[in-house]
Amino acid sequence: MPGKPGNRHNSTFGVVAARTALALLFGAGLFLSVTPAGRATARTAFLVAAVISASQPAPLNLLEEPVRHIQKTVPSRGGTVYLDIYEPATPAPPLSRALEGIVIIPGVGDNRNVPQLINLSLALAHVGIVVENITTPTLMHNDISAVDSDAVVQAFNFLSHWPGVGADRIGIGGFSGGGTLAYLAAADTRIRDRISFIVLFGAYFNAETVLRAYGQRAIIVDGKLVPWYPTQYPLQVLANVMSDGLPPLDGSLLVSAFIPGGKPLTSNKLAQMSPPAVAAYHLLEGDEPGRVHENMAALSPQLHALLNTLSPSSVINKVHAPIYLLHSRDDSSLPITESQAFAAALARIHRPYDFVEFGIFQHVEVATGHSLTQILGDALTLFRVLYKVLLPGS
Amino acid sequence: MLALSCFWLLLGLLVGLLAVLAKFWPSSWGRKKWPAMLSIGALAAFCGGWLGTLLLGRFFASSVALWIAVLCVVVLPRLFVWVQLKHRSLFPRGTHSSK
Repeated sequence: MPGKPGNRHNSTFGVVAARTALALLFGAGLFLSVTPAGRATARTAFLVAAVISASQPAPLNLLEEPVRHIQKTVPSRGGTVYLDIYEPATPAPPLSRALEGIVIIPGVGDNRNVPQLINLSLALAHVGIVVENITTPTLMHNDISAVDSDAVVQAFNFLSHWPGVGADRIGIGGFSGGGTLAYLAAADTRIRDRISFIVLFGAYFNAETVLRAYGQRAIIVDGKLVPWYPTQYPLQVLANVMSDGLPPLDGSLLVSAFIPGGKPLTSNKLAQMSPPAVAAYHLLEGDEPGRVHENMAALSPQLHALLNTLSPSSVINKVHAPIYLLHSRDDSSLPITESQAFAAALARIHRPYDFVEFGIFQHVEVATGHSLTQILGDALTLFRVLYKVLLPGS
Repeated sequence: MLALSCFWLLLGLLVGLLAVLAKFWPSSWGRKKWPAMLSIGALAAFCGGWLGTLLLGRFFASSVALWIAVLCVVVLPRLFVWVQLKHRSLFPRGTHSSK
């Protein structure tokens, strides 16, 4: 008995819909597993979900490669380098090329147990990237020293000999103050032609312009001076850095004012200090915003030289790898103007770079309480950058 | 891997279900179309998943399971019919000699 015309129409529609769905599933499966663009898309999507949610998405745990965490040390000019390596526990499958690697300098301080860093490291390892987080005694003492760029070089060389890792497939990622060491190492002739990419997140370009912003408690946005207030920790770090270029007594007084719980220096103590140390103090304290120019000029040549050696701007044209600059719009540790200046300088010398701004991060960590629109917007931006980073290795 | 294997079987069943709805089964299968298509889908996804794990790693295995399952539910029934017809043309009924 022939069916009703309506039923036939529904049946035809159902067949077409099912065939379309199968065609789409076939295309998606083939694209995501076979083509480099598809493989990069799959890995990037997983990474973005892990980074934005600050955790491993539970349903995707099923798909992940199991991960192994190993701790090692290597010597360097600045002392022992502590390495935390996260790698896929299973050997590289026969049809995939050598594994990618990334050396991460996760900022100043001992950040090895920071949950979001561990989450990022695990997420990267789950998609088949060997992660090497490094820290040094200087960084652990809340200080930055240019000699620690050798630690990054040693860590890079160590990772390039790691089983399964392609020596030409290693990038460097620097977060916050770690960005400086990443960039200085990337300019080092021993490794600069072997680095496949550099990612700098929440880093600074020039230590002097950072100090100027701290002194003014303001940054220039769209040509206007806008109030900007740094958190306490970067002031402590910069006090430690500048104490290395001051006489011991001046240095210890300067540091004492910016340690957690430290009190502003009295006029008596300031009277004991040299003019460069007093100028450094006022710049960090931000109590003379109208005299920033004079205080900068009062810094000693040693201090200017020290700040210069700790500035990526001093070696900007010596890096050959593509550079990805990421910065939080509301960064209260290092102002976004630093990455903007970095990007402008790279554009002037025609170096390959990409610069993106985010709203959902506070400095280098994902913050909570953002709208869905903002999260989706930033997720797409993050996807675009990570896709570019992962594509060559996919 | 047990959970992942179960996931691939489930994925294959879904693909088999879609193949039934898409009428990719040979008309000669009649009532057997449901178990046959679901079995092909599940088995193909399961094998595809393990093949993907061995060749590309666990992260990409589910994508491999997906496209292999779709490929199998589309191709295998047609291949089955073709083989059947070929067999019949080579050995028509009544030409077999019984000893």
